Amino acid sequence: MRGIFPFAAGAAIMLVAGWAGFPRAIYKSRPQPVDFSHKVHADKAGQKCEDCHAFRPDGTFAGIPTLDKCAGCHAAVMGATVAEKNFVEQYVTPAREPQWAVYARQPENVFFSHIAHVKRAQLTCDTCHGDHGASDHLLPYQEDRVSGYSRNIWQTADRVKTTRAAMTMSACVECHRQQGLEHSCLDCHK
Amino acid sequence: MTSTRRDLFKLAGGAAVGALFTPAPWRLVTDTALWSETWPGVPRPARGEIRAKYTNCSLCPAGCAVRARCVGEQPVALMGVLEHPFTHGALCPFGLAGHHLPYHPARIAQGPVKQAAAAIASALARCAANERIAVLDLRPGRTASWTYRRALAQWKNGTYLTPPRTLGGNLAVNLAAAKTVLSFGTPLLDGWGTPGNVIAAREGFRLIQAETVESRTAVMADQWLPIRPGSEPALARAIANVLGNQPLHDAALETGLTEAQIVAAARELADNGPALVLDARERPEILALNQLVGSLGHTIVMRREAPVPAEWKNAVAATELSAVPDGSVRVLLIDESAPGPYLPWSAVEKKLVAENPVVVAFAWSGEGYGRHAQFVLPTAVYPEMVDDIPAAVDSPAAMFRLSAALVPPPADVVNPAEFVAALAQISATNTLRERADAIHKSGRGTLFTYADAKSTALKDVKADGFWKALNEGGCWMDAVPERQEIPKLAFGPPAATLTADNLPLAVVMAEAPAGLGSPILSKMYQESNLRLAEDRVVLHPTVARECGVEDGGRAILEAGCGRLDVLVCEDPGSPQGVVQVAAGPRTLDLCGSSPRAKVVRA
Repeated sequence: MRGIFPFAAGAAIMLVAGWAGFPRAIYKSRPQPVDFSHKVHADKAGQKCEDCHAFRPDGTFAGIPTLDKCAGCHAAVMGATVAEKNFVEQYVTPAREPQWAVYARQPENVFFSHIAHVKRAQLTCDTCHGDHGASDHLLPYQEDRVSGYSRNIWQTADRVKTTRAAMTMSACVECHRQQGLEHSCLDCHK
Repeated sequence: MTSTRRDLFKLAGGAAVGALFTPAPWRLVTDTALWSETWPGVPRPARGEIRAKYTNCSLCPAGCAVRARCVGEQPVALMGVLEHPFTHGALCPFGLAGHHLPYHPARIAQGPVKQAAAAIASALARCAANERIAVLDLRPGRTASWTYRRALAQWKNGTYLTPPRTLGGNLAVNLAAAKTVLSFGTPLLDGWGTPGNVIAAREGFRLIQAETVESRTAVMADQWLPIRPGSEPALARAIANVLGNQPLHDAALETGLTEAQIVAAARELADNGPALVLDARERPEILALNQLVGSLGHTIVMRREAPVPAEWKNAVAATELSAVPDGSVRVLLIDESAPGPYLPWSAVEKKLVAENPVVVAFAWSGEGYGRHAQFVLPTAVYPEMVDDIPAAVDSPAAMFRLSAALVPPPADVVNPAEFVAALAQISATNTLRERADAIHKSGRGTLFTYADAKSTALKDVKADGFWKALNEGGCWMDAVPERQEIPKLAFGPPAATLTADNLPLAVVMAEAPAGLGSPILSKMYQESNLRLAEDRVVLHPTVARECGVEDGGRAILEAGCGRLDVLVCEDPGSPQGVVQVAAGPRTLDLCGSSPRAKVVRA
């Protein structure tokens, strides 16, 4: 019995470290530069996703809006929140672009087309982004120390999706297969 | 309780087993794989504003108009310019992936420039009266070509060498005027001339392809005449006999066709004109058919060269390599920066002096003449290079367009024309602008600008505006003269046919030389056998059995000039008595001057 104790102890230590310690250690976390509320903009300002996350005339996706877009409404403080006051003072007034950490940053060797999914496949934003459009605060950006990608890609409450290491090719392939779509390598890798 | 060394091993063992039941090792495998996609050294496209830039592709003489989608300053996708009146938006697969070339594994970015200059100077100092310095220009007609010719005029024994060509210089093909085209192995529908123009003209002519193998052009032709290997001149003679009401003699036996097929082809040329006869190797005895069928002045026309400054006219004339005495070239400079027809090294080498010749190749890779030269000096590659592209063989009017740089070249590359000009101590720093000004001064033709798809008469454009338009994506097209001069074809002696009893297979260059393309494209083409790689040969299964080789096996291709390790592909569609190879520098060096070979087991 005594002989198995060191073995069991080693296994137990590693199990605890692997399940409890490793998931914390693998990520480094940093807050977004601005405590942005999608909920306030959707509810009070009545804005839709595409009002800020628009397509350019050539069909490319503009992604996160630039400061010019924000300053169109927030040239001066409009509300009473500290977050807005800080945003105007630290970014709008000195015309300093916020350095947003992009949750959905893709690997350099892959090309993802928003317009193909939104306009052609008629997917709604919440299909991939969940209820992010109704969130009151932005989640901290958790970056994988090895791969360099964000922990939280999909911004949904679904555990299965939020624990993906990245937006993997298998996730793309899985969804395309479900839709009966088969494509060539060069559709995404160009 | 004391712990032993055995306990320590047990603890480590338990930890190792325990780790396997946690996400840590599996996750690290995935993360490491993701990290490896972007580790240092992997090219990363820039992120930034997306915009379009325009240029012209300089990978082949077609010079197709290109619209480059750029992210920041980095081109990420190339496409044609649909509204272009001559290239019609077409871009071949090599052109579509041309922006990969600066990152090609075979790319040379540094070279012994000072050592080469010193060796040339030393060789020139000991150059005897009957020896010469020569520049071999694979793509004549460029502004750089004029610089070579002006530079060589500074030496009493300077010689400007060009590949032999009948069509493509002052003589051009007017495909749009043709009703019947008889092609002797010319890859007319597979990259010949300007692909967009050929496609646009295709509906207007009937194509008869006389070729040993069923090439892509043969597949798409209206009629394929599967002739015996090497019997093209015999077929041309037979057609000439039919047109001259002479007997056919044993033409059917020589060519492998029936007499009815030969007579029908000849009648079609005579009755459904204007006709045009093309030959992949431009053999004079075959091109002579054009005189018989009245092509001259209709489908083969005179073309003016784009104007050059008057002071440039003091330049040496072009000389074909065959006209240079053997053993007479002391210094040979080869410009491979603009790809053109590859002359077999055996033909070049015999022109060099026997002792200590200096051979310098200007190239962006060492795959061509760089294998034989003492010095390989790196040049910019498309789309880094700034160069002009003369009109292609199928353009009846002269053209002037620039391949403007989309990305900056590496710091240590050499501009071949400026290098040669510096040797001759002449100025060549602003030659493209000088030539553009000379064209503008002529007031001829029109300027087509790509961004707005507008054609403007040149006389309505200012000189600075013309230069700016050329650099930002534009093409000058000469006006076709109202009175068309009837060209004359200068026919030399028939090409000598080499035979060798110990080389039983006729070599068929199954692919047009395309030079090095994007690595990803070459890989896809060659792994799927859409295009032959240089290290593959195609044999009929019966021929393969006779040679003792098998499909997928290694073999040695032997010809008059040496041997090459190859992979064998069996194809029942390949004619017997034939070995198909790709036309690359290695195979052309091996088989270019001796179109017979044998294949033996490695």
